[in-house]
Amino acid sequence: MNILLPVLFIIVLVAAAFRKVRVYDSFAQGAGGTLPLVKKLFPYVAAVLVLASLFEASGLSAALSKALEPALSVLGVPAPVVPLVLVKPFSGSGSLALVGQLCAQYGADSYVGRCACAVYATGETVFYLSALYFAGGGRARPVVIALLSNFAAALLACLLCRVL
Amino acid sequence: MNVLFLCVFVLSAGLVIVRDASAFLPALLEGAGGAVTLSLSLAAAYAVWLGFLQVAEDAGFLGGLSRAMLPLTRRLFSTKNEKALEQVSVNLAANLCGMGGAATGAGVAAMRLLDRERYSQEMFFVVNCAGLQLLPSTVLSLRVQAGSADPFSVLLPALLSSLASLLLGVLLVRLFCRR
Repeated sequence: MNILLPVLFIIVLVAAAFRKVRVYDSFAQGAGGTLPLVKKLFPYVAAVLVLASLFEASGLSAALSKALEPALSVLGVPAPVVPLVLVKPFSGSGSLALVGQLCAQYGADSYVGRCACAVYATGETVFYLSALYFAGGGRARPVVIALLSNFAAALLACLLCRVL
Repeated sequence: MNVLFLCVFVLSAGLVIVRDASAFLPALLEGAGGAVTLSLSLAAAYAVWLGFLQVAEDAGFLGGLSRAMLPLTRRLFSTKNEKALEQVSVNLAANLCGMGGAATGAGVAAMRLLDRERYSQEMFFVVNCAGLQLLPSTVLSLRVQAGSADPFSVLLPALLSSLASLLLGVLLVRLFCRR
């Protein structure tokens, strides 16, 4: 698996050179697009992450996950995994940290550990991606749809971990 | 988004005052610090991938990839914008292979090229949010580190549920977003 990426790079660069592409100039031109892109995205990433951090510090996210725990347990999500389902749309690094913690505490091959891993592997960090993609022109409808389908995926993942 | 931001902010800030008002500014700074480090690591990933993708584009490879996926992408995103569909197919291919850095770079480029096509943008966003991956490399390496005897045991549940999420998302966009 590790060999795939370097091989891909070699093939593309060599083949491009054969097609008379000035590889060095071309690479530099592409990389030059980096800073304008980051400059455009940063304000929204900052706003979303500041809000997420405040949300966490206020204890609101913990209270919310406590309140939703019984409902989610009925739907088949094991209680320790509930915070993960709720944090996932806001913070990729936060949910990864949670998965690591759950795997360490319950064991990677336990039901809880497998659920946590499967939930993490499905879906994206919705709010972060929306800040990145819509860069300010925020739209509610696609975000709600994405949250809904990711939530359904999390429920299904827990169910499948039990069966498979 | 503006209303959501205001509501969550005010509610959280109010609670922070009740619990421990001195935690307010550190929390904000921690979030902004996270944004700075994240942007830096994004910049690093973009520099590599945008450079690489430019070479691939100049050599005419992206056009080939895009043409191969055209029957699917043109219908799904209902746009004839070939430049954008090129970036879309790079994004989808990179996402499937678990190359996150390449995927977001191409994804942002695609969103900008689809500037005036609302429906296509929304469909693309929702498809991306399903996060379908053939090999979720982050989770697999985490499981190996945690001493799992069978790290691949989550592969099938993860794949099936992402697929379900993708289908549900596409269906909902078709139903509720105007073309």
